[in-house]
Amino acid sequence: MQKLTCVLLVDDDQTTNYLNKLLINRLVMTDKLLVALNGQEALEQVKIHCREAHPDCPALILLDVKMPVMDGFQFLAAYNELPLPEKQAIIIVMLTTSLHPQDVDRVQQLNIAGFLNKPLTREKLNDVLKTHFDRHLPE
Amino acid sequence: MSEPTPAVDLARENEELRYQLEEAQELIHAIRSGAVDALAVQGTEGPRIFTLQGADQTYRTLIEQMNEGAVLLSHDATVLYCNASLAGLLGLTLGEIMGSAFESFVPLAFQDYWAELLRQGWTGKSRGELPLKNRAGALVPFSVSMNVLSFNDAPTLALIVTDLSAQREITAIRAQVEEQNALLDRQSEELKREEAARLAGERAAAEASRLLEGISQIAWTASAAGENTYRNRRWYDYIGHAPGEGAPSDRSWRARLHPDDTAAAQARWQHSLITGEPFEVECRIRNHADEYRWMLGRALPSRNEQGDIMQWVGTYTDIHEHKLALERIDQGQRQLRENNEQLTRVNVDLDNFIYTASHDLKAPISNIEGLLDALLSELPLATVQSDPVQPILELMQDSVNRFKRTIEQLTDVSKLQKEHGLPAEPVDLAAVVRNVRLDLEPLIQGTGAELLVDVKAVPTVLFSEKNLRSVVFNLLSNALKYRASDRLPLVRLQARPEGAGAVLEVEDNGLGLDPANEQKLFGMFQRFHDHVDGSGIGLYMVKKMVENAGGRITVRSRLGQGTTFSVYFSR
Repeated sequence: MQKLTCVLLVDDDQTTNYLNKLLINRLVMTDKLLVALNGQEALEQVKIHCREAHPDCPALILLDVKMPVMDGFQFLAAYNELPLPEKQAIIIVMLTTSLHPQDVDRVQQLNIAGFLNKPLTREKLNDVLKTHFDRHLPE
Repeated sequence: MSEPTPAVDLARENEELRYQLEEAQELIHAIRSGAVDALAVQGTEGPRIFTLQGADQTYRTLIEQMNEGAVLLSHDATVLYCNASLAGLLGLTLGEIMGSAFESFVPLAFQDYWAELLRQGWTGKSRGELPLKNRAGALVPFSVSMNVLSFNDAPTLALIVTDLSAQREITAIRAQVEEQNALLDRQSEELKREEAARLAGERAAAEASRLLEGISQIAWTASAAGENTYRNRRWYDYIGHAPGEGAPSDRSWRARLHPDDTAAAQARWQHSLITGEPFEVECRIRNHADEYRWMLGRALPSRNEQGDIMQWVGTYTDIHEHKLALERIDQGQRQLRENNEQLTRVNVDLDNFIYTASHDLKAPISNIEGLLDALLSELPLATVQSDPVQPILELMQDSVNRFKRTIEQLTDVSKLQKEHGLPAEPVDLAAVVRNVRLDLEPLIQGTGAELLVDVKAVPTVLFSEKNLRSVVFNLLSNALKYRASDRLPLVRLQARPEGAGAVLEVEDNGLGLDPANEQKLFGMFQRFHDHVDGSGIGLYMVKKMVENAGGRITVRSRLGQGTTFSVYFSR
């Protein structure tokens, strides 16, 4: 499978990041894996790497909802305001726990590729690859 | 042409003939009544005189004795003769009258009238009325009729004088009497009316007073201007004064109003006085012990037939205990409301807690599971399968699974809370039961249970379909799970209409439980049998769902014999 250029994990939970990193590395999905601990950090990363088309600009952002400093919703609002050249090439998938019905409504109204229930698994990642990147993990 | 027209001649002739006829009639009348002694009748050979002289003394006697005065006047109106009646009427002697000039009896004011009457009399006859002076100078009314007679060949004037005073008086008196009677009648009528009105008024007042004295409330009346006109005994009992005792101002309700109620009560009263609207006020009035008691004051205007307000009739009803009771009830209700609000807050807090807990616990338990997985994949297979690593890993996984299940159930509960007010719809009960039965078929087969369903009497219930399914599933699976080990499960599911709604009953012959635990049964995470795999959340959810839809659930159970759940659906 052709690997993704870069994946950005956004979660304040270090253990989650550790496990997801472990999973993604084991699946050999990407060459470069970036980690941000909140929306603010993620926004900075995007600003740095995606000013122009660049291999370090993440092709996939896995975004947690509840985070300190800047949560997932706030990140999306700020991201929408960013003037980026290759925005359509960036796939954002939200990762949620059991969602409050009110949050479900909110997520569904957002301009994002989709959302997944935690925990992240091989199957869920494979679905994302199939749907948004037209590729799949080797059997 | 100097000759008169035949019509004028005829009219005059006619007039003369009528005159002659009248004259003749009067003469005949005079002769009959004896008013004259002799007649002169105009004949073709001149007038012929018929006298009664000597021939008929009877007539003379008659004239002397008749009530009317009879007089013969000479040409110069000297009285030649008068009868005794006239002398009597004038209070004079015959001698005083005869030989006198008749006009000496005529008052000055009637001299002209008399002269004219006399003149006419000499022309043939005349008739008139005039007063004559009597001896005392008083005037006596007479009617006089005159006829010319030839008496002893000399023309004389015969007068018949009739005293009118009696007749006048009678007429006058009658008129007066009639007038007086009419006046009396009117007065008596008026008096009768007044009396009737007075009596009616008194009766009404007495009746009103009797009524007002008899009622248990304080009663009063006031004038249209608002001045007090009456207070019944109850009022004086209340204020501890006898009527009329104490300062008048101290007897009035105004003086006894609670200061906090004065402005509002007075304003209300003024408003009623101005508008005529019924008066109603709740106020505190000071009693004889200087205590303020709550009173309900009411008054209605009493109007006359014209619609004018004649007076106000009012009452005061002691509502003190009632009012205090109401206040206590109010306070109780306030307390209840506060408690309810607090409970609602606690419930919301609990909902939020459950949501947050389920949410916040989910992430770490996922992580633990993930880490366990990661560890497993890192450990050499030999190590994983070695003792005691393998049982430890299995127990860890078990614990993680149980934790996750609990969190899922908590999540379900919190979802249920959010679903409060889910629209209810008519749901096909039989279809729902059929589906649940299919889902439970393995358990039914496995336990050898007999499930008897009879829901024909209730085709539909008003409920959320998803929740109804959940209710039926929980009750049926419970009935199977908590079966008695020494007998095959027999489960009856029945539905029947009840009142405006329906009741669904699930009866089993299972373990049953101690009645003391019946209410705890519906609590969250309550479990009574540890040998059966259960979360203790099912019945809590069922109860929630039923109650959220306006229904209720009850349980009857006998330890070792079985349990019956009854779900009441509102319709």
